[in-house]
Amino acid sequence: MAFLDNSGDIILDAVLTDTGRMRLAKGDGSFKIAKFALGDDEINYELYDKNHASGSAYYDIEIVQSPVLEAFTNNTSMLKSKLMTISRTNLLYLPQIVNNTTVGLSSNNTNSILTVLVDQTTVNDTTITATGDYIDGYRLVDTKSPIVMDQGIVSNAIGDGSSVVLDADLTETQFMIEIDNRFGNIWDGNGAAQATPSFVDDDNVATYYLSTSTNKTYFGKSGTSMSGEVIAGPRGKRLQFLVAPSVDLNSSTYLFTQLGTTATLGSSVYQIDTTVRITGVTTGYRVDLPIRFVKKQ
Amino acid sequence: MATTFKTLNSANDVASTRTLLHEAIPLTGTIASGTYDDNNIKTYSHGMFESVYDYPYLSSSANHIFDITTGYASNSSLSGSGVQNSKKLNVYSQMAQVLVGYDATGSIQNFDQDGDIATGGTKINEAIFVNFSRLLTKDEIKKGSFIVSFLTGGTPAARTDTLTLQDHEGATSYKVNSPAGEYGILYTSSSGITADSGVGLVYYQAGVAVLTGSIFDGTMGPGISSGTYDSLATGSTIEVMADSFRNRLVDIDFNNTVELNSTVYFCRASHNEFNYSANPTYLSESQIRVKNSTTDNPVSYVTTVGLYSSDNELLAVAKLSEPLKKDPSTEVTLRVRLDF
Repeated sequence: MAFLDNSGDIILDAVLTDTGRMRLAKGDGSFKIAKFALGDDEINYELYDKNHASGSAYYDIEIVQSPVLEAFTNNTSMLKSKLMTISRTNLLYLPQIVNNTTVGLSSNNTNSILTVLVDQTTVNDTTITATGDYIDGYRLVDTKSPIVMDQGIVSNAIGDGSSVVLDADLTETQFMIEIDNRFGNIWDGNGAAQATPSFVDDDNVATYYLSTSTNKTYFGKSGTSMSGEVIAGPRGKRLQFLVAPSVDLNSSTYLFTQLGTTATLGSSVYQIDTTVRITGVTTGYRVDLPIRFVKKQ
Repeated sequence: MATTFKTLNSANDVASTRTLLHEAIPLTGTIASGTYDDNNIKTYSHGMFESVYDYPYLSSSANHIFDITTGYASNSSLSGSGVQNSKKLNVYSQMAQVLVGYDATGSIQNFDQDGDIATGGTKINEAIFVNFSRLLTKDEIKKGSFIVSFLTGGTPAARTDTLTLQDHEGATSYKVNSPAGEYGILYTSSSGITADSGVGLVYYQAGVAVLTGSIFDGTMGPGISSGTYDSLATGSTIEVMADSFRNRLVDIDFNNTVELNSTVYFCRASHNEFNYSANPTYLSESQIRVKNSTTDNPVSYVTTVGLYSSDNELLAVAKLSEPLKKDPSTEVTLRVRLDF
C-alpha cells in the first residue's frame, strides 16, 4: 500500500493589495475580509480542444499547462475575470454584456471611440461636433443618446429574444461601473442626475453600484420588451448612463498636458483616453469600454 | 442566482495562528576589526558609542549590526575624575534605567550579577554594552542561543585565552524582573553555575548584551597604548574602550526570533460552486466553450484567490502555482494565509 502524495496540499500566501494596505493603515476597521472570489485571469478557454485526437483527458492539456503570474498589488488589475457559481450544471449558454450602438451612443465617426467633449468651447466648435457622435460634457441633457449596455445571450440557439426571457438567476439586478475619478463621473441616461460612487480607491478609480431596485433611471426596458436590441437570444437588463467630464478636465488643461496627447478632431484638441469598466454583479461578466475626453486647444 | 463571491464564515473559515521563526545570526569577530580596515566602524563627535556595520558604512549596501559602548555606576570604584567620567556615568545610568529600572524610591538600580535585584548581591558596576540592531535581533534573541567569545588575556598585540560566554540556562530559567522584557545570565560554563558565576546579561527583547569588565584579565587597548581594563576605563575614552573590545572579539552567535501572526482563510469551493467563469474567452457567441451539450459538466480553472471586503473591495490576493481544475465532481479548500 503506497503512501498518498500530499505534495499538492494547497497553502497559498496572500499579498495585500494597495487598497488593503491603505485600509489597514487607516485603522478604522475598514480592513475586514468578509468574502472571497476565485479568478482565472490567465486562462484562455479558446485552448480547450474538444476534438483532441487523444481523447477527453487531453482536452484541457494546454490550459492546465498555462503558467500563472505572480500576484501584484494593484487592486484594479487582479481578479478581472471571476469564477461563477450557478447551481445548475446543464447550462450551455451564458449571457454577455454588449454595447448597443443601435439605440445608444455610438463611437465618433472620425476617431472611432466614444467621445466626451469636456467644455462649452469644445461643444460650440462646429468643426468638432461635425465629426460624429459625442457626449455633450457642457450640457449632458443635450447628448443625443446615452451609452447603452444590453445583457443577454447573443445567440438565438435557445430561443428568440423577442419571446424568450433570460432565466431569472442569470439576469443582472445590479451593475458595477468603474471609471477614473480624475477624468469623469457617471450620470443617468437622461443626464439629469449624477450617481454617487460607493468608494474611490487609492488609484482614483471610482466604483458605482447601480441597482435595478434603487437606480431605476439607469435602466431601460428589459427582457422581451427591449427595443432596438442587438442581442438575438433571451435578454436580461438594459443599462443606460452618461459619462460627464470632471471639473478638472472642464476647467483646466493640466491633466490633458500631463496624461493626454494632442490631435486633430475637426480642430486641434487635447485628448485623454481611458476606460469605463462595466461589470454585471450577478454573473461577473465584464466589458471594458474605451472612451476619450476631448478639449479644444 | 448566479454569484461570484462566497461569504467567509468567521467561525469556521477563519483561523488565526502564531508562529515563531528563527534565523541563525553568526557574527565573526573579523567584521568588527580587520576585514574592512575599520571603514565599517562609525564614530561620533559626541563619543558616547561607536557603531559597527557589515560593510563600509559610507556604502548604501551597509547594514548597521551593533553598537558598542561602556560605562560604570556612580558607586563604582572607577567613578571619579577619569577621562569622559560623566559620559561613562551617563551611559551606565541610561542603560540601567531602561534595562533594570528603578527601586521604590525612584533611584536607578544597578545591573545585578545573578538577576536577583531585590535581594542585593553582587552588582555589575562596570560594564561593556553591546546593543544589537533590530535588523539582526528582529522581535527577540532566541533564549539559550546567545554565545559570545573573546580573547581576554595577553596584550593587544598578542591576545590569548579565549573565553566563551553563553546564556546556558536562558531557555529555561530566564529572568522576568526587567522593565525591558526577559533576560538571561551569561556564564563561562554550563557546569558549576552559582549565584556568583554570572559574567554578563543578555536582554532578549531589547537586544542588548551587558558584559562585566572583570572578564578581561590581560592588558587592553586598540593598538599602541594598553593597560588593564580598569586603567583603560578611567584613562581612555569610550571610543578607545570600544576599539579595545572590538579587537578582542572572536565571534558572536545567536538565533533571532520573528513572531509571525497569520490569519488563514479557508476558501471552500463546494462541488456546485465556481464551476462557470466570467472570463471573456469562456464564451463563443454566448456558448460555453468547454461544453458540447447541456449534459456535459461545466469546467473552470482557478488561478487566483481574492479576499474581499463586504463592499467588494479587493484587499488581498493569492495565486496558485498552476491552474486548478474545478468541476461539479470536485470540491476544493484553498488555505490562504495572510501574514501580519
